[in-house]
This record gives sequence, structure tokens and C-alpha cells, in this order.
Amino acid sequence: MSLFELDGVALVLPVPGGLRNILHNVSFRIASGEILTICGVSGTGKTSLLRVLAGLTAPTRGRVMFRGTPIDGPQDGVALVFQDYSNALLQWRTVARNVSLGIERTLYGAALNERIAESLRLVGLENSAADYPWQLSGGMQQRVQIARALALRPSVLLMDEPFAALDAMTKASLQDELLRVRAQTGASIVFITHDIEEAVYLGDRVAVLSGMPGTIASTFDVDLPRPRDQITTRELPLFLQLRHQIHDAIGRHT
Amino acid sequence: MSRQSLLPGLGGIAIFLAIWELLIAGGIFQFEYLPAPSRIAIGLIGMLRSGSAFVEIVHTLAATIIGWLIAVVVGVTAGAVLGLFQTARRYSLASIEFLRPLPAVAFIPVALLLFGFSLQTELFVIVIPCLWLVLVNTMGGVTAVSQRLQDVTRVFRMSPIDAVSKVYIPAAAPAVLVGCRLSMTLALVLAIVAEMVGNPEGLGYAVVREAQALQPEMMFGYIFITGLLGVGLNSLIIGLSALILPGVFRQPSIEWEQA
Repeated sequence: MSLFELDGVALVLPVPGGLRNILHNVSFRIASGEILTICGVSGTGKTSLLRVLAGLTAPTRGRVMFRGTPIDGPQDGVALVFQDYSNALLQWRTVARNVSLGIERTLYGAALNERIAESLRLVGLENSAADYPWQLSGGMQQRVQIARALALRPSVLLMDEPFAALDAMTKASLQDELLRVRAQTGASIVFITHDIEEAVYLGDRVAVLSGMPGTIASTFDVDLPRPRDQITTRELPLFLQLRHQIHDAIGRHT
Repeated sequence: MSRQSLLPGLGGIAIFLAIWELLIAGGIFQFEYLPAPSRIAIGLIGMLRSGSAFVEIVHTLAATIIGWLIAVVVGVTAGAVLGLFQTARRYSLASIEFLRPLPAVAFIPVALLLFGFSLQTELFVIVIPCLWLVLVNTMGGVTAVSQRLQDVTRVFRMSPIDAVSKVYIPAAAPAVLVGCRLSMTLALVLAIVAEMVGNPEGLGYAVVREAQALQPEMMFGYIFITGLLGVGLNSLIIGLSALILPGVFRQPSIEWEQA
């Protein structure tokens, strides 16, 4: 069974002075366990699409199914990582207590602490548990947000341009960390980005979102071997070919 | 106040007092009722030894804190409700905007007519203006909780109670505490004013009484005690704030000192 199934999804949102068509006739499936990257330029509704998947925004038309049932709000087992980590973290809570936010109603005592420690270990933050987010670098704060999502043991991780605000080196190391976490946890990932190379490097499939209102223009299977490597994977002819094709696919529609 | 600024600050006070002392000793200042700091100090020590100032201090302190507490409890509750519910805000914002800028002292005649020369008058004069300060700051803090944090409460499927207690209130806390702190200083000022004209008790009345009795040393002594009380209450609430929200108030970006 598909994890997510979108059928003819359209989204119209009120803007000052009227209504704006954000998404139009978006239909695709996300298989369990895959990494789907959604790539597109600004204004094609990437973030809106992710909010629809997260159950934060209801589609105006069409159907969104999660594990075979239509969604009517945020679902259990779906975690969301925002781009703006400093706004998304609770700045008055320590790193450990940020990570506990989603699990402290269901876990207590030793089990809670163990889960927090495990989540922090996954992103290499075990030594920052007692720090406050504002004491950390941008890359580390984004790791906290990822750990907070992983603590839920989600079956799906929805990520909205999570590395867009980070410098190139931090971005590369977080990409590899994400792939490692995926290999360890088996979570499906829907990853929004406007960086074509990032989309190819991370994804099992790349969906190109384009147009205004946005729609899925084409999808590409990424048959690059795993584990991937920042240097050698990016030198493979297939990587360069996909990069070229996706670039054309985005360009054709803008 | 940070440790580094404490010593120069005290030095500044010492220089000011020394110049005052010299101007009077040298006969440059010649006011009949302006005593030198040394004479004020002697009067002050006598006052504290005999314990005659004790009753006044307790009265003013109690009135300030009780009035402030009422303003905080009512203000935070009403401010949170107005911040969380847009409908409530729409109906009451016009009234608040009309009442808020009225000068605090404008309430004194109203209070006198309602309650006479009494503690109720004093509390009324303290509570009303402090209430606006706490209410408006709390409401502003709650409405300013970012869209992103609201998303977070939804994605984590938090119950309304959890969302309010774990996200909205802590996110609004810096603004709430600024309101509480500003209203504490204001409460003391209003207590003194109310005691001067409305309720013949406490430090405010003592200042007027000593002035009318032509006892300038005593008068300045009471003014000095009032100043110390203000500094003490202010430090107390800064300390409390840091205890309540350690994560927020160690943050260097928040200019807590100037609020």
C-alpha cells in the first residue's frame, strides 16, 4: 500500500485582495520506505504541498490519503521538520527538553530519558543535551529539530527545505547524516528543496514541481548506488545526467 | 545591574553626595530647608534606631505588593484570554485603548469619591494603571506567538491545554514579565502618590507630614527609604524572572536590563 496517495489535489488560498491558486491537479504516490525529493523554484507551492501532506492545510479539491485513509489533520507517525529552526524550536527549553516535546505525554522517567538520549545520538548531539538552542550554531539547531522529529519514531519524515539556510559544508554533512539516519530507522522521507543536486543526491525519486499554480511536471527515478558519497556519487555520469534532465524539466515550465 | 556597573554606579552616587555636601558646607547653596547629606544620614539613623519608620515602610510595602499582585493576576488572566481569542479582543480593544492612556492620577478623585480616605482608595489608584500595563503586555506577548510555533503545537498533536501551557505561555513569558516588572515600579510610585493625597498612611504620607512639620532631614530620610524600596523591589522581580525562566533570561539577545 502507498504511504501517501494524492489524487487531483488543488489548493486555493486567500491572499490580500482575493484568492490565489497555489496547487493544481497534483497526483502522485509515495511508497513506504522511499525518499522522495520534491524540487522546484520559489512560488511553485512546494511548502504548501508539504503542509497538505502534513495535514496542516486542507486541500481545496482532491483527495489526500495516508495509509489508505483520507487525512483530516496532522497524523500519528508523521513528523515535520521546518526550514526556520530557530522559530520552530522552543528557545526556553534545553535541547533535551525540546526533543522530549512530542513524547513526554506518552513516555515517562527512564524510558523518556532513554528515547531522548537515543534521538540525540542519532544526530550526534549527545554532548549538547543541557544547552539551550540559542547557544548552538544553525547546523546544530537544525539537528535538534531533526532529533525532536526522530524521537517520535515516525514512519514518515516531512522536511521543508531543512538545509536551505545552512552553509555548504554544514549542508553536506547534514545530508549524509540524514541518509545514515534513514538507513538506521527505515523512515520514509519527503524532502522539499530548490537545490537540484541535493534532490538527486538524497532521493530515490525526484518529483519536479513547476508552474503557477504548481503541479507535478515529471518524476525521475534515481538509480544511484547507496551508500552515497559527497565526492564520488556526484561524479557519476548518471548523477550528472539526472541533474541535467531535472534542470531542463524545471526550466521548461518556468 | 551587572557586577561591573555596580562599583562605578556607587562611585557616581558618592561623587554626587560629596558635591551636595560641599555646596552646603561652603555656603554656596543657601536654602533654609535643604540639609546636607550628613545631616540627613544622622536623621535617617535616628529614625531607624527608634523604629519610627518601620510602620510606614510596612504599610507602603504591603500596599504596593498587594496592589501589584491584584493587577498581575487580573491582568495576566485577562491579557491571556484576549490574546488567545480574537473575538474577545475585537469587542474590548476599543475600551482598553480609551482607558489605557488616562493618567494614573486621574483616578485619585474617582477613588476618593468611591472609598474616601482609605486603603481601598490607595489600592484602587495602584491597581487600575498597573492592570493596563500587565494586560497589554500579556496580550501582545500571546498574539505575537509565531505562526511557526502554532504549527509546532499542531504537528505534535498537542491538546489545547498543552499547547497553551507548554508553548503559548512560555513564548509570551518575556513580554508578560516585562509588564509585571514595569508595573511593580509603577505600583510603588502610585502608592506614594495615593498616600500623599488619598490615604494618610505609609511613606508617602510621612514625606508630606515631615515637610509640613518643617523637618527636612526626616523628609529626605523617608524619600531615601522610598528609593531603596524601589531598587529592592526591582531587583527582587528581576531575580524572580530569572528563576522562573532560566532559558530565556540568560539569552544575551534579550535586552532585559533596559525594559
